[in-house]
Amino acid sequence: MQTLAKFRRNYFGVLFLVPFILAFLLFGLFPVYNTIALSFTDTTLMTSNANFIGLKNFQRLFADGVFINAIKNTWLLWILNFIPQIGIAMLLSVWFTNARLRIKAVGVWRALFFLPNLLMPAAVASLFFSLFSYFGPMNQFLVRNGFLPEAMQFLQSKEIARGLVIFIQWWMWFGNTIIILMAGMTSVPLTLYEAAMVDGASATQMFRHITLPLLKPILIYIFVTSLVGGMQMFDIPYLLTDGRGAPASSILTNNMLMYLKFSSSQGHIGAASSVGVMIFLMTSVCSLGIFYFLRDKDSKISHQMKF
Amino acid sequence: MAYKFTTTLFRALIYLFLFVLLLVTLAPIWLLIVNATRSTVEIQQGVAFLPSTHVFENYGILIGRGLDMPRGFMNSMFLAIATTVVSVYFSLLTAYGMVVYDFPGKKIFYNFILVLVMLPMQLSIIGFYQYMSKLGLTDSYWALILPSVASAGAVFFGKQYLESVVISDLIDAARIDGASELGIFHRVMLPIATPGAFTMAIFAFIASWNNFFTPFILISSIKKYTLPMLVQTLRGDVYRTEYGSIYLGLAITVVPIIIIYALFSRYIVSGIAMGSVKE
Repeated sequence: MQTLAKFRRNYFGVLFLVPFILAFLLFGLFPVYNTIALSFTDTTLMTSNANFIGLKNFQRLFADGVFINAIKNTWLLWILNFIPQIGIAMLLSVWFTNARLRIKAVGVWRALFFLPNLLMPAAVASLFFSLFSYFGPMNQFLVRNGFLPEAMQFLQSKEIARGLVIFIQWWMWFGNTIIILMAGMTSVPLTLYEAAMVDGASATQMFRHITLPLLKPILIYIFVTSLVGGMQMFDIPYLLTDGRGAPASSILTNNMLMYLKFSSSQGHIGAASSVGVMIFLMTSVCSLGIFYFLRDKDSKISHQMKF
Repeated sequence: MAYKFTTTLFRALIYLFLFVLLLVTLAPIWLLIVNATRSTVEIQQGVAFLPSTHVFENYGILIGRGLDMPRGFMNSMFLAIATTVVSVYFSLLTAYGMVVYDFPGKKIFYNFILVLVMLPMQLSIIGFYQYMSKLGLTDSYWALILPSVASAGAVFFGKQYLESVVISDLIDAARIDGASELGIFHRVMLPIATPGAFTMAIFAFIASWNNFFTPFILISSIKKYTLPMLVQTLRGDVYRTEYGSIYLGLAITVVPIIIIYALFSRYIVSGIAMGSVKE
């Protein structure tokens, strides 16, 4: 009797998941299916009749250089912000968790470095647009102090526009990475370091042979979440210049291209969907690749260490 | 002795590095707030690091040119609160169902949620838009609020949190007292889970407040514009030379979040550390 009641009760748990599952089917899964289906049609927002056109949308994406350029831009903007982001975050996390250095007020430093992450990206992009505009504070500062002979149009240079997007992304995310890395580092058992010190290991050796291997799952997590986020970059490059990736499409990202197709005068949502599907395929393949190549090949060692 | 000296020197260099980094981190935000209080003339005269007294003047110009900032603020606030309540309640409900009950397929469902956290929204947004336009929901907040019933990131966080606070004896005691399963969730579990729910709420609120892309795609009437969408119009020609009011407009969107952070940074930092809180 009792087991039957327990059995019934356990199935009751499924009811708790019903709202989630329903909402997911309606607002998550069906839109995904719909996007994929649309990507094989020539649907626009202006006309009601849509035709199945097979892979034509995808062929068109590769017909001119626009899509390839957007992919290149997105990767460039992501990689060049990710490397200094993980580098500086790693350096700071090591310092912050180092028992010998005893850095004061670690919590306060960390909290302040994290602050930009919470600010509205749309407002941040507009802020940097203002700071680097022709009459903006950056020009004033550089000209008054003699660093520049006269004010310059920062946002008309491809390199500076890209550099700014990279800087903003780095600025917004390195604090986040510090928090995650520190959470990983403080979970490494202290006894491992004590044992290594007894064996006469140097700080570098301990970092390479204890911290890094045990940090691997966290590093994969940071890597993948940053990649997925980076491939979706929109607000910052969209609002930093004219919304079309000016100057000369140098900061036109995947997501901006999708939006441009969506918001074109005809509203080519079929073509926009094909961009979305391509980004998804690219992101998934790369994420799975990261999981595959960084997976625990030498799991025996880390198993022993976890012990 | 030499060893101690190098450590001291190294520490001094670290502090110097941290200080420079802090300057880089905070200078843009500080300039934003300072410039929001300065008149356009003052801003044109040069860079300053101390606030001035022209906030109200800037505010007058800001709302005097057809940009309904107070309305945008209320829209953003309404949307953020609604999304937060919906996503926290339903995510805890889902997480509770997974933590307390044992049913086949639970593990698969959980792994499925882990995958959903990673799913980029490009894959669904266009299809979502077209489907919403067929239902006549494109210019409505429903299309922004209802999907948060299924917030995978919040469920993930909620499950991790509930696993650490659920007391099965307490649930059994409530059952013996004749409480219904849903009643136990409401009257026993929710009060215990309040700190976790609060952390989830902060993240949901900030995510909705800062969200630009989805409302930008879905909302078309200016009356329903949220703050990030108004920030975009702030860049238009009407305000071209009104630097003071542009900075003030940006500050209005950013300061509430800074205040929330100042009050609850502990929750936020530990929430990030606890794992992938995405929405």
